[in-house]
Amino acid sequence: MSVLSLIVWIIAYPLITFAIGVLLGGYERKFAARVERRIGPSWIQPFYDVVKLMTKKTNISHGYMHDVAILMLLGGTVLTLYFVPVPGFGYFAQYGDFLVISYLLLIPSLGMALGVGETANPNGSIGISRALQMLAGYEVPFILTFIGVAMKNQTTSMLDLIKIQQAGGIATWGLVAHPLLGVAALIALQGMLNEKPFEVIIAPHEIATGPMTEMAGKYLGIMFIQHLIAVPLELTLYINLFLGGAANWLEYIVKLFVLWTGLISVSMVFGRFRIDSAVKFMWKISLPLAALGVVGIMLNIA
Amino acid sequence: MSITTLLLLPLAGFLGGIALAALAPASKSPRASGAIQKFVAVAGFALLFVEALATRSAADASRVELWLFGFPLHFAMTQLSWYFIAMVTGITLVTVLFSLQGLRDDGKYPLYYVWLFAKTFGMLGVLLANDLLSFFIMWEVMSWCTYFLLQQGGERAKRAAGGYLVYAVVAGMLLFAGLMYVLFHVGSVEFDAIGKAFAGFSAGSVIAALVLILIPMLIEAAAYPAHWWLPSAYANAETGISAYLAAISTRIGIYGMTFFLFAGFGLSVINIASANKFANVQEVLMVIGAFTMVVPTFTALFQHDAKELMTWHSIGQGGYMIVGIASSTTLGVAGGLFHVFNHMTYVSLILFSIAAVEYRTGTTNLNKLGGLIKRQPIAYLGLLFGIIGLAGIPPMNGFVSKWLIYRALILSGHPFIALSAFIATLGTILSVYKLIHNMFLGQLPERYNDIKEVGWGMRLPIIFMMAVVWLTGIFPGTILGVIAGIQKSLGLEALQYTTYGVAQGAGQLNMLVINIIFIAALLVSWLIYLAGGKRKHIGQYDNYAAGHFLDASIPYNYNYDFYAGMDHIFGPALHKPPVKRLEQSIGAVVLNASEYLRRLFTGNVTTYAAYVVAAAVVVLLALGGGR
Repeated sequence: MSVLSLIVWIIAYPLITFAIGVLLGGYERKFAARVERRIGPSWIQPFYDVVKLMTKKTNISHGYMHDVAILMLLGGTVLTLYFVPVPGFGYFAQYGDFLVISYLLLIPSLGMALGVGETANPNGSIGISRALQMLAGYEVPFILTFIGVAMKNQTTSMLDLIKIQQAGGIATWGLVAHPLLGVAALIALQGMLNEKPFEVIIAPHEIATGPMTEMAGKYLGIMFIQHLIAVPLELTLYINLFLGGAANWLEYIVKLFVLWTGLISVSMVFGRFRIDSAVKFMWKISLPLAALGVVGIMLNIA
Repeated sequence: MSITTLLLLPLAGFLGGIALAALAPASKSPRASGAIQKFVAVAGFALLFVEALATRSAADASRVELWLFGFPLHFAMTQLSWYFIAMVTGITLVTVLFSLQGLRDDGKYPLYYVWLFAKTFGMLGVLLANDLLSFFIMWEVMSWCTYFLLQQGGERAKRAAGGYLVYAVVAGMLLFAGLMYVLFHVGSVEFDAIGKAFAGFSAGSVIAALVLILIPMLIEAAAYPAHWWLPSAYANAETGISAYLAAISTRIGIYGMTFFLFAGFGLSVINIASANKFANVQEVLMVIGAFTMVVPTFTALFQHDAKELMTWHSIGQGGYMIVGIASSTTLGVAGGLFHVFNHMTYVSLILFSIAAVEYRTGTTNLNKLGGLIKRQPIAYLGLLFGIIGLAGIPPMNGFVSKWLIYRALILSGHPFIALSAFIATLGTILSVYKLIHNMFLGQLPERYNDIKEVGWGMRLPIIFMMAVVWLTGIFPGTILGVIAGIQKSLGLEALQYTTYGVAQGAGQLNMLVINIIFIAALLVSWLIYLAGGKRKHIGQYDNYAAGHFLDASIPYNYNYDFYAGMDHIFGPALHKPPVKRLEQSIGAVVLNASEYLRRLFTGNVTTYAAYVVAAAVVVLLALGGGR
């Protein structure tokens, strides 16, 4: 990779991901509207939302940690993004494997938690308490599925895992080769993306949107930007681990939208779990599936 | 000579301190006595640290023989012990510097520095011991010094220290049994001779000896299920001592474990002891490590005292070291040993920050604190850096060692141990957030409106440790180089490291790249932030509460039931843990039995005479029966 193309990629990558995020977000709202027999907003409505919030004149903050946290939130997500390989750009993935990604993903969570803590809002604290418990809920099965795949292929590098799946064709895709792991990770992904039935963190009718209660103006705007980058990022993780990565951008976009359609369809028909039920669901359904899959791999290796 | 200096310097500090206390009691002129103690402590520990750094060249080279009551005691320095000695002396110096201001001159801790010298002497002795007898003797010295050090700090500390003593005595007995076992079967306490004899032994005999020696190490390392002594003992000690003990004292157990499993006897004992499928020491250690990681970490989640919460974590982090070292792979051992250093840095940093808060507010109770970020920003930053390291999140140093351990576990085919490590990490994030939230975030109670940040005497050690935690995260190669040297001397394959992480062959990791991108991403986010409108800071009661009005009469602290969902799931298992119940019932039985035993001592001379006669009769009968 030449220096020039590297620089272009470094600048373009977050912007492209943000654009994809806007389209995915708009698609979700359009999809939900059609299910509910409405027309729904514009396809790029999330972009308009961000513009509106970023140009607000009143931006209230509860202190310096509140300000810094919002930077940690966005900065941590962009940092993680560079380590997730996409077709044509996997330069930084060689300096950090999936373990690095899974830990970098904790920075935004921690940042948001600290910022919301400083707002001293009870609803916000409940939201954070739930967010962190949910984190423990979905991360445990998700990481076990990764451990299984990594142990089978004897590598923790995402680039290597993609290479193996691309070379072997559909039969070596994670979802096909290890269906139990694939399904377990899919359930965990639903929680990771904070989609129903695991949407306990925001819970607008219960805790006044939880962490976002005291966030307004550009603070909320940056949270929106972060969310729009995080959605394609997390979907890409699943695609790279279980759907064979992608050889080119067309394949990548198609896979993104197919996966996203599946997840938001599930979200449409569910209500919201209680927090302990949500965590228990992850640990009682998703985790045993993953554990069975890993035991299968261990028996296979031995 | 240098090894002798390392041993004699702290001993001299201890004896001198005792003499000083006897000749010029602190009650007569507390200020002068305090000043002398402080000066001697700083000078002594600084000298010790310099000496320790200077003696690295002596590693693997010289062996010193000291004579005690006609027995030769051997001391030598290996690469492994140098690593630990450097850490012990370094962290002691930092703790002493922190205590200069952190320890109030109220005469509550008259012999603080004196026992610190004694404890350091004990630890250095254990680290330098080069035969089993010296090891045992120094081990006992160290345990007793820990006991006396723990007592510094009031009635509760004394009781908790008693709890520690029970475990320490059990550990000492087992180690003595191990010493006797080796002495009878090998006929020597020299490590070389033991190693040669072990090579010809059956796996069973080696395991028997190893178990007797390893269990005391695991008790000292507070491994599950022998971890109950630690929380109350460390949490009730003076906070500076807690920092010191949690940072390094517990880790002497890890040193012992590494030493005896790999190098101690000049051959890889762990390979002999793990060859058998049914009595596999390696697998057993890994399971112990997994429990040590998970159970204490989730217990920490439900604590209401900052120090107690941290001590539970200190136990939990030991699990990572045990698992890493027991994996006996290059990556795992490197991760385990590196984690000792990382844990030392961030745990002391966290406890220093807690001490800074305690210094101003007089409490570590999470129910009573809150919102202190506006009053003690440096302590807040210290705690923040510390918890990021503790949770093992980049860019701090804790991440590198955890990364090594995970990779080792996954690639060596221990998926569920790796999963436990990850579960423990998540539990850590949950509980450290509770810690920082209830101390520094949320509402500031009215009574803390006027407090100030602590002085520079406490700020500087905090800032220094922050720098260490971050810089060794960016340049882990500085420490990994030492560890690679240890691995070579232990007969393992050395880790392929670079200045910024791990080399290509071992699965590349580059912390510098991560740091640069992180800083760049933060800057870009800042630009986006600046692009928005001007921000306005508002007060803590200017807040949305669904129609309620918030003011000082509605205190908001969330410590109790912070993780209600988790409590529903784990509560029953954690609030009444089986081990604790077992410990309590054993305690009750012993207490009752001793009550009956006590009645033998009537205080009446005739009864004692009757005992003597009865004993004589029994002895005579026994002798007669023998004939």
